[in-house]
Amino acid sequence: MKPAVMSETEETKYGSFLDIDLFSRFFKYAKPYKGWITIAILLLPVSTMAQMAQPLLIKQAVDQHLIPSNLDGFWLLALFFAGLVVMQFFISYLQSIINTMLGQRVVRDIRRDLFSKLTAMDAQFFATNASGRLTNRITNDTEAVSNMVSAGLINLVADILLLFGIAISMAILSPKLSLIAMISLPLILLGTVLITKRMRVVQRQSRVIQAKMAGHLTEQVDGHEVLRLFNCQEQNRNEFNQMNQEYFSTVIKSNFLEAFQFSFVETASVVVVAMLFWYGAGLTPEDGVTVGVMVAFIDYLRRIFSPIRDLSGKFTTMQAAMTALERIFDLLDTPASITSPAKPQLPDRPAASSSHIQFRNLDFDYGKGPVLKNINCQINSGERIAVVGPTGAGKTSLIKLLNRTYDPKHGSIEINGLSVDRYPLEHLRRMVGMVQQETFLFAGTIFENISLHDKKFSQEQIIQAAKDSGAATFIEKLPKQYDSILTERGSNLSAGERQLIGITRMFAFKPEILVMDEATSSVDTISEGLIQNALLQLQKDRTSIIIAHRLSTILNADRILVFAHGEIVEAGSHSELIEKGGIYAKLYALQFNSIQ
Amino acid sequence: MSIKTSWKVRLRHLLPFYRRNAVSFTIGFLLLSATAFTTASIPYVMKMAIDTLAGQSDHEQLKNFALTLIALAMLNAYMRVKARTHIFGIGRKVEYELRKDYHSKLLELDSPFFDNERTGDLVARGNNDITAVRMFIGPGFLQITNTIMAYAVTIPIMIGLDHMLTLIILAPFPLALVAARYLTKALYHLSRKVADQFGEMSSFVQESVAGVAVIRSHAQDSNWRDRFGVESQKLYKAHRSHAKLQGLFSPLVILSGGTGSLTLLYYGGQEVASGALTIGDFVAFSGYLAALVWPTVGLGWIFTVMQRGLAALERVGRILDTAPFLEESILKTEQPTTRKKLLGDIKINQLSFCFKKDGEEKTVLNNINMDIPKGSFIGLVGRVGSGKSVLLNCLARLYPTEKGSISIDGLELMEIPETQLRANLIMAPQESFLFSATIAQNIQIGVKSDQRPEDAWQAAEQAVFSDEIKTFPEQLDTIVGERGITLSGGQRQRTALARALAVDPPILLLDDIFSSVDATTEAKILTNLRDVAKGRTIIMVCHRVAALYSADHIYLLDQGEIKNQGSHKQLLETSDLYQNLYSNMAKEEALEALK
Repeated sequence: MKPAVMSETEETKYGSFLDIDLFSRFFKYAKPYKGWITIAILLLPVSTMAQMAQPLLIKQAVDQHLIPSNLDGFWLLALFFAGLVVMQFFISYLQSIINTMLGQRVVRDIRRDLFSKLTAMDAQFFATNASGRLTNRITNDTEAVSNMVSAGLINLVADILLLFGIAISMAILSPKLSLIAMISLPLILLGTVLITKRMRVVQRQSRVIQAKMAGHLTEQVDGHEVLRLFNCQEQNRNEFNQMNQEYFSTVIKSNFLEAFQFSFVETASVVVVAMLFWYGAGLTPEDGVTVGVMVAFIDYLRRIFSPIRDLSGKFTTMQAAMTALERIFDLLDTPASITSPAKPQLPDRPAASSSHIQFRNLDFDYGKGPVLKNINCQINSGERIAVVGPTGAGKTSLIKLLNRTYDPKHGSIEINGLSVDRYPLEHLRRMVGMVQQETFLFAGTIFENISLHDKKFSQEQIIQAAKDSGAATFIEKLPKQYDSILTERGSNLSAGERQLIGITRMFAFKPEILVMDEATSSVDTISEGLIQNALLQLQKDRTSIIIAHRLSTILNADRILVFAHGEIVEAGSHSELIEKGGIYAKLYALQFNSIQ
Repeated sequence: MSIKTSWKVRLRHLLPFYRRNAVSFTIGFLLLSATAFTTASIPYVMKMAIDTLAGQSDHEQLKNFALTLIALAMLNAYMRVKARTHIFGIGRKVEYELRKDYHSKLLELDSPFFDNERTGDLVARGNNDITAVRMFIGPGFLQITNTIMAYAVTIPIMIGLDHMLTLIILAPFPLALVAARYLTKALYHLSRKVADQFGEMSSFVQESVAGVAVIRSHAQDSNWRDRFGVESQKLYKAHRSHAKLQGLFSPLVILSGGTGSLTLLYYGGQEVASGALTIGDFVAFSGYLAALVWPTVGLGWIFTVMQRGLAALERVGRILDTAPFLEESILKTEQPTTRKKLLGDIKINQLSFCFKKDGEEKTVLNNINMDIPKGSFIGLVGRVGSGKSVLLNCLARLYPTEKGSISIDGLELMEIPETQLRANLIMAPQESFLFSATIAQNIQIGVKSDQRPEDAWQAAEQAVFSDEIKTFPEQLDTIVGERGITLSGGQRQRTALARALAVDPPILLLDDIFSSVDATTEAKILTNLRDVAKGRTIIMVCHRVAALYSADHIYLLDQGEIKNQGSHKQLLETSDLYQNLYSNMAKEEALEALK
C-alpha cells in the first residue's frame, strides 16, 4: 500500500502578486471602514517622518554641538528627539492596532458572506463540492486575506515610503555619498527577493511533505486495527520514514536559505558603510561630508534593514491572499439554483385541514440518466403513504423534490393546489417536515439538537415534544437529561436513539406534511417499539409519506406505492395489492407465508 | 500528572538527545560565541574610522578600516550562517528522530490504547507538538546562547569605553526584559484563545456543511447565519484582545531603543562635547545599543517557546512511555518457528473481558467457553451489544486475554509471535477501513511478497466484487479516496473481505461485514467461502438466515454470555431468543426482497 500521490492541488497553488479586479472587489469590503483607513493612511507620512528625522537630529547634534563643544540649545534638540521617540511609540501602536482590527473586521464580513452563501446553496452543490474545501474557504482562505490587510497592504506602503524617505534624506545630506548607497540599495533588494523566492519554493515543498505526513499519520491512527491485523507495521514504518527523511533534507535546505537571508541584509549594510568610509578617505571638507553626515548615514543604513526584510516577505503574503481572494469570490459568485420565488404565494384554503399533494408528470435526474419517470399521483389530505421498492428506484429522490432539496426536470408538485416553487422557500420547508434515514446530530445539548437553536421554542415545548415522541424515556435516564452534550455526529447515542431525536424534532416543529426515510440500520428492540409508537402519533391528522423499511409501517399505511426503475408500478392498500395479485402480492406471499 | 513526574518524563526524553548531539551542540556554541566577538568588533572598527574621519590625521587610513570592516562583515556572516544552520540542524535532527520514534510507537500500540484517544489529538502530537520541541531545541538554544554571548562580549567593551554611560544606557533594559516577558506570556494565552476560537468557528462551519441537509429541511438557514454571525464576532473579539497586546510589541522595541538613543544623545553628547568621549565612541555606543535591544526582547519570546516546548515534550513523552499489552519479544521476534503454519484448532477457556473507561469497568464477556475444531464454520448470533464483536476482537488479539485463556493449536494466544499469528489469523473488522490507495493496494495490504494482480482479482472474485471492479475505468488501479469515500458501503465491505481472503489464512474471523451487502450477494459469498478453502476455520457474526444455514455450529450470545449453542435446527427448537432473532432476520430479508 502506498499513499496516493499528492500533487500540488488547488490549495497549495500561488497566483499573481496583484490583481486589480480582485483588488477593487476586495475594497468594497473595506469601504465601511473608511474612517479607519483614512487614519491609517494619514499616520503613514507622520511615522515615516519620525523615523527619517532621528538620524538628522543626530547629525545636527554631532556637527553643531558635539564637535564644536557648544551645548547652547542642545537640551532643546534632545527634547525634540525625545518627542519623536514618544510620538513613534504611539503611532506605531496605533498603526498596528488599526491594521489588525481592519483586517479582522474585513475578514469577519467576508466570512459571514461566505457562510450565508453556503447556507443558500442547494443539495446539488454540496454533492459536487468536497466539504473540506468549502470549510477551507471560510477558515484558511479568509485568514490569508486578513494577513494581507494586517501585515501586508498598509505596511507595504509604509515600508516603501520609509525607503524613499531615507533615500531622499540621504540625497539631501550628501548627494555623493547617497549615490553609493543608492547603487547598492536595489542590489540588496534584488538579492533579498531572490533568496526569498528560492526559499518559498523549498518551504512549499516542505509544506507538501508535511501535509503528506500528517495525512499518513491520520490514516495510521484511524486504520490502526487493519495495520495490526494484516501485520503492516514494517511497511508502514518504511513509508513514513521515507517521507520523514525527505522532509528532513528539504528543511535542511531551507535552514541554510533562512540563515543566509538573515545575515544578508545586515552584512550588506555593513559593506555599504565600509564603502562610504573608503569613499570618505578621498573627500575634502569642501565636499560637505561632515562627521555628522557620516554618523547619520550609518544610522540610516541600520534602519533600512527591517523594511527590506519585510518587503520580501510581503510578496508571499500578497500572493497567497490573491489566490485566496480568487477562490473566495469564485464561491461567492456561484449562483444558488434553488431560491425563493420572486413573488411568492400562499394558497387560500381553510386552516386546520391537512394538506393534499399532487405529483404531475414528474421527471427527474441527477445528470446520469433518469431517476424518476413521469410520476403522476394524488395524495389526499391526511393520507398515510408507504413507499417501497428496491434501492435506486427513486424513492428518496421523490421525497427530496417535495421540499425542493432538488427541483424536477419536468412536471410539477402541487401542495394544496399550489406548485411548490411558488411558495416562499422557508414556508415550504417548515410545512414539509423531513426525517432522514440517518439523523444528523450537531455537537451540543439534546435540547439544542431538538430545537435546532430555533428561539421560538421554550424548554417546556421541547420537553413536551420529547414526551410525545417517547424520546423522553431515554433522555431522562441520562445524567444531565436535556442538557447532555452530544458528541459530533451523535456517536454517543444508538442508531435508534438518534432517529428518535430526529422524530422528536417533528413533534416540536409540527409540520403539516411528514416525510420520512426509515432507518435501515439495525435498531435495538426498545427503540424499535418507541419509533413505531411515535410514528403513529405523528401520522395522526397529518399527510405522511414514509419510505418504509419495516413491515409494521407498511401494514399501517393507507396506501402503498411500489416503486421500480423510477416509476410507480403499483399503488393501493395492503389488502388491495394482495388481492390484485401483482408484484407486491407475489413477493409478500413468497416471503412471509414461509415464515408464518 | 504531578510536577515531579512530568519533569522526569521530560528529562528522560530530552537527555538522550543532548547526549547524542553533545559534539554538535558544542560546535554550535563555539561558533555562536565567535560570532558574538565579530559582531561586537564591527561597531568598534566603525568607531576608529569615525575618529579618524573627525581627526586631522591621514584620511588614507580610512581605506584600511573599510577593508577591515568588509572582511569582518564577511567573516561574521559566514560564521553566523554556519552557526544557525548547525544549531537549527540539530533541532531538525531531533524533530526527525522524535517523529520516527513517535510513529513507531503508534504502530506498536494497540486497540485498548486507541479506544481512549482521539485521532485529532494523536495527530496533533505528531505534528505541532514535535514542532514545538524542535523550536525548543533549535531556535530556543540559539536565542539563549546568542543573548548571553551578546551581553557577555558587548557589555565589557561598553564598560571599557565609558562605564557610567553604559550603566545609564542599560538601566532601562531589565525593565524591557520584564515587559517583554510579561507581554509574551500574556500573548501566548491570548493567542491560544484565538486559536481555540478559530477552532470553534472551523468546527462550526464543518458541522454546518455536514448537516446542511437538516438545516435546510427545517428552514433554519437564517438561524444558522445568525449563529455564525455570533461565532465570527467571537473570533473577531479574540483577535482584538490579542491585537491590543501584540501591537505593543514593536512599539516597545522602539521605545527601549529610542530611550537608549536619547540617553546616549543627551548624556553621551555632553561627554563628547566635554572631550571625555570621542565622537567614534558615541557611534560605537549607538551600534552596541542596537545590538542589545533585539536579544533582550527576544529573550522574552524565547521563554514562551521553551515553556511550550517542554509542555509538548511531556505530551509526546506520555505516548512514548505507554506500553502495549503485548511483550516486546512477541511483537518483534522473527524465528524459524514463527513461519510454521497454524491449523486452526481454537479453544476458549473461561474467557471474561471488561472495558475500562474513565475508571469505570463494564463486563462485556463473561465466562465464555468454546471448542472449535479446525475447518469448522462457526456462527455467532446475538442482539446489538451482546459481545460478539468483542469476542472476535479478543480472538484476533486486538484486545488482551485478561481472564481465562484462548489457545490455537494448543499455543497460548498471548504467546504466539506477532508475525506468525497475523500470517495465520485474519479478521475483517466491522468498520472496513480503507486507505487512500488503489483497490489492488487495499486488497493486497496483507500480502507480503509477490503482489500479483491476478491474485488480487481472485480475491475480489471470491468476495463477489470482481464484476463491479471491471466496470470501473481504472479497474484495480482505481483510487478509493480517503477512507474509501468513492466506493459504496457494500463495495467497501467487499474490498475489506477480499483483503482478508487475499492472505489465504487458515483462520478467518468475519465481523458484521455484510450489513451493506444484499442477501443474494451474501449467499454467493458464503458459497465461495465454503468451497474455496476447505480446511479453513471460519468464525462469523451472522445477520442473515443464509449464514445461519451455512454454519456448522452456532453460538447464541446474550449479555456477554453464551446463552445457547448448537446447529440451526437445534437452536430453533430450544431457544426462544434464537427463534425471535431468526424470525426478525427473515422478516427483514423478506422486506428487502420486496424492495
